[in-house]
Amino acid sequence: MPETAITTVSDAELRWQLMIRRIIHLLLPIVVMVPFLCEIDMPGKPSPLVKQIYYDLEALEPGSVVLFSLDFDPGSQAELAPMTVAALRQCFKNDLHPIVMTHWFSGLGLHKRLLEETAEEFAPDKKSGRDYVLLGFRPGGQSVILSMGDSITGAFDKDYYGKITEGMDALKDVDSLRDIDYALVLSAGGTIDGMWIPYGSDRYGFPIGAGCTAVMAPDLYPFEQSKQITGIIGGLRGAADYEVLVGAPDDATSAMAAQSFAHLYIIGLVIVANIEEFVRKRSKKRE
Amino acid sequence: MWYKRYLPLVLVFLIGLLGFLTQYIPHWGSEEVVSYMARSLLIIVAFAMFIGAYSLLHMHLTRIRRQQAGWAYSLLVFVGATVMIAAGLYNEGTGPMPPLAPRGINTWLYDHVQVPCSATMFSILAFFIASAAYRTFRAKNLNALLLLIAAVIVMFGQVTISERFVNWGLYVANLFPPLHDFIVDGLGVTDTIFRKLAHFVMAAPNMAAKRGIMLGIALGAISQSLRILFGIERSYMGGGD
Amino acid sequence: MPEAPLERASSTRQIVEIVAAVVLLTIFLGASAWRQSDGLSSGTLAGTAEALGIIIAAGLTLIMYSFLYRDNPFFKAVENLYVGVGLGYGAVMTWHQALKPEVVEPIILAPSFGALGSALIVRGVPILLGFMLLTRISRKYSWPSRYSYAIMIGWYAGMGIPITIHTFILEQVNAAINPLFAPGASPLATFLSINTQIIVLVGTVSVLYYFFFSLEHKGAGKVVSRVGIIFLMVSFGASYGYTVMARISLLIGRVDFLLYDWLQRPRP
Repeated sequence: MPETAITTVSDAELRWQLMIRRIIHLLLPIVVMVPFLCEIDMPGKPSPLVKQIYYDLEALEPGSVVLFSLDFDPGSQAELAPMTVAALRQCFKNDLHPIVMTHWFSGLGLHKRLLEETAEEFAPDKKSGRDYVLLGFRPGGQSVILSMGDSITGAFDKDYYGKITEGMDALKDVDSLRDIDYALVLSAGGTIDGMWIPYGSDRYGFPIGAGCTAVMAPDLYPFEQSKQITGIIGGLRGAADYEVLVGAPDDATSAMAAQSFAHLYIIGLVIVANIEEFVRKRSKKRE
Repeated sequence: MWYKRYLPLVLVFLIGLLGFLTQYIPHWGSEEVVSYMARSLLIIVAFAMFIGAYSLLHMHLTRIRRQQAGWAYSLLVFVGATVMIAAGLYNEGTGPMPPLAPRGINTWLYDHVQVPCSATMFSILAFFIASAAYRTFRAKNLNALLLLIAAVIVMFGQVTISERFVNWGLYVANLFPPLHDFIVDGLGVTDTIFRKLAHFVMAAPNMAAKRGIMLGIALGAISQSLRILFGIERSYMGGGD
Repeated sequence: MPEAPLERASSTRQIVEIVAAVVLLTIFLGASAWRQSDGLSSGTLAGTAEALGIIIAAGLTLIMYSFLYRDNPFFKAVENLYVGVGLGYGAVMTWHQALKPEVVEPIILAPSFGALGSALIVRGVPILLGFMLLTRISRKYSWPSRYSYAIMIGWYAGMGIPITIHTFILEQVNAAINPLFAPGASPLATFLSINTQIIVLVGTVSVLYYFFFSLEHKGAGKVVSRVGIIFLMVSFGASYGYTVMARISLLIGRVDFLLYDWLQRPRP
C-alpha cells in the first residue's frame, strides 16, 4: 500500500488562508457593484447560436403558436428570466401566440408574473386565452409531454387560472404537439435533453430552441450540431444577445459590464495563483 | 408471499415490454396505449409528490422528537409549511376550490420569502467558485494546464469586454497602419475573435468529449433498463418482505 | 461534529461580532426606512405590503450572505424557513395544478353519474395506484406501493430503450460522421470544417475508448486513451468557464435586486 503523505498546516497558515478567502469574497461583490454604480454599459454582438433562435421565431407567420416550457425556478431567474421576457416580447410584437407551461412547480409563481408583466407592459391589448395561454404545471415530466402529444387540451384541460382550455382562441389551431410551430424550452436542468428532445421533438417533429443556464450550455452543443435543437441561448450572455436582437436592451444587457468585470477578476485570481505556484515551485527547487 | 415479491417483478417485465413494443408498432392502438399510460402516470406522479413532502417532514419531526442538535430550526420548517398551506387553503377567503388569488398571502410569501431565499442560496456559489479559482486552479501538470487554458478562453470569450479589448488593441495598432492592416486583413481579426475562439472550444473539443460521455451514459441507461425489466435491479421494491 | 479551531469564537470576538451585528441591523433598518419610505407611507395596503415585502426579501438575502463570514443561527433559521415555505408552496401547487383538476373535480365533484362513470373508466386505475403508492410511508404495509412503482418504472424503462437508442445514439453517431467536403464552400471554410469534423470524430472515439475498461490501455490503446483525456480536460475546463459565468450571473441578479429594488437606485 502506498504511504499517504500527511501534511500538517500550521495555525498561522490556516489563519492566512482564511483571511485570503475572506478578502476574495469581499472583493467579488465590490467588483460586481462598481459597473452598476458607475453606470458602465457594455453591450456585445449576438452569437450565431442565439441569432438562429431569433430568426426561427421571426420567420413564423402571425398567429403561429410558440410553446414556452419555462423549466426553472427563482434559483436561476437571474439567467433565465431576461431571456423569457425578451422572447415573449418578440412573440407579442410579431403577433405569435405563446403557450406557457412548466415542469418545475416551484417556479410557477415567477412564470406567471413574467408573462403577465410582459403582456401588460408591451402588449396591453393582448388577452389571456385569446392571444396567450398560461397552461401552468402538471406533474409527470415525460408523461406530460406524451400526453400533450396526444392532446394539449387533454393534458391541460384547465389553464393556470382554472379556465377550460378547450375552445380557447389561442389554441384553436392546435390539437397536439404536432401542431406546435416552435417550442422554446428555457431550462435550468434536465428537461431539454432529458425530456423535450427525446419525448417531444424527436417524436412529434416540432423544432426546439434551447435557452438554458450557462452550466447546462456545454452539454447541449452535441444536440445543436445534430440539429435536434436549432440554437442555444446560454446563460446571461445569451439573454443579453437576445435582448439586443429583439431591440430591447434590458436587465441582461445592463449586467454585461458587471459580468465582464467579475470574469476578469476571476481570471486575475487564476493568474495570481499560478504565479504564486510557479514561485513556490522554484524556491522549493532551489532549496 | 408471491403477490408481494414476484407479481410486481412480472408486472415490471410486462409493462416494460408493452412500452418497448409501442415504439415499434405504428398503429393507432399503440398510440392509444401510450396516451392512456401517459395520462395515468401523470395522476400517479401527483401522489408521489406527497411521499417526497412526507419524507422531508418526517426527517424534521424525528429531529424535533429526539431533540437532536439544531432541532429548534426544524420547527421553522413546520412554521413555513403551515403558514404557506394555511394561506393556500384560506385563499383570500374563497377557500381551496377556486383558483389561487392573484395577490394573496400565498403569492406575497412566494415573492418575498421563497424567491429571494432561493435566488440567494444559489448565488452564494459565486463566492465559492471565486475562492476555488485561487486555491485550486493551478497548472500543476499538463492536464491541469489544458483545463485552465480552456476555462480562461471560455471565461474571457464569453464576456463583452473581450470585444472592447480587441478594439482597443486595434486602435493602438492603427498607430502603425501596416500592422493594423496585417492584423485585420491578413489575419482576419475582428472584435469577436475571442468569442469565436471560445465557440470553437465549445463546438469542437468540448462537444466531442460531451458526445463521447453521452454515448457512454446512453449505453449505461439501456443496460440499467434491461436490468430493471429482467428483475436484476430491484431497489424500487423498497425494504420488507 | 466539532468546530474547526478557527471557526470557534473567543469571547472577545463574540462581543465584537454582536456589536457588528447590531450596527449592521441598525444600518439595514435605517436604509430600509429611508429608501422604502414612499411605499411604507403610501396609505394603501398593496403599497405597504410591497415595500414591507422588499425589506423582508432584502433582509433574508443579507442574512443568507452572512454565511460567507461564518455559519450562524440567523442563516440556519432562514435556511429552514425557506425549506418550509418551499414545501408549503409545493403542496399548494400540487393541489391546484394536479390533484384538484385530475382527481377531485372529475371524480368527487362530477356533475352527473354519467360523467363520474366515464371519469372512473379513464382515471379509476391510476387514482387507485396513486393511493397504493402512499403505502410506501408505512414500513410494514408498503408492499402495495410496489405495484405502482412497478408500473411507473417498467413503463419508463421499456419505452426508454428505443427512445434512448434513437435520440442519444443513432442521431449522435449520425451527426458525428458528416461529409468532409461541403459543395460550394470556400477553401478556407472547407479547411476549417474538415478540421472541426476530424477533431469531433477523433474526440468522440477517444473519449469513448477512455471509458472502455474491458481492455487494458497499453500500446496504441494508451495513446488513444491519452487523447481522450486531453479532450476531457478541455471539456471540463470549458464547463468550468461556463459555470463561473452562471454563478456570477446569479450574484449579479441579487446585486441588481439590492441596488434597484431595495435601495431604489434609479435604473439607467
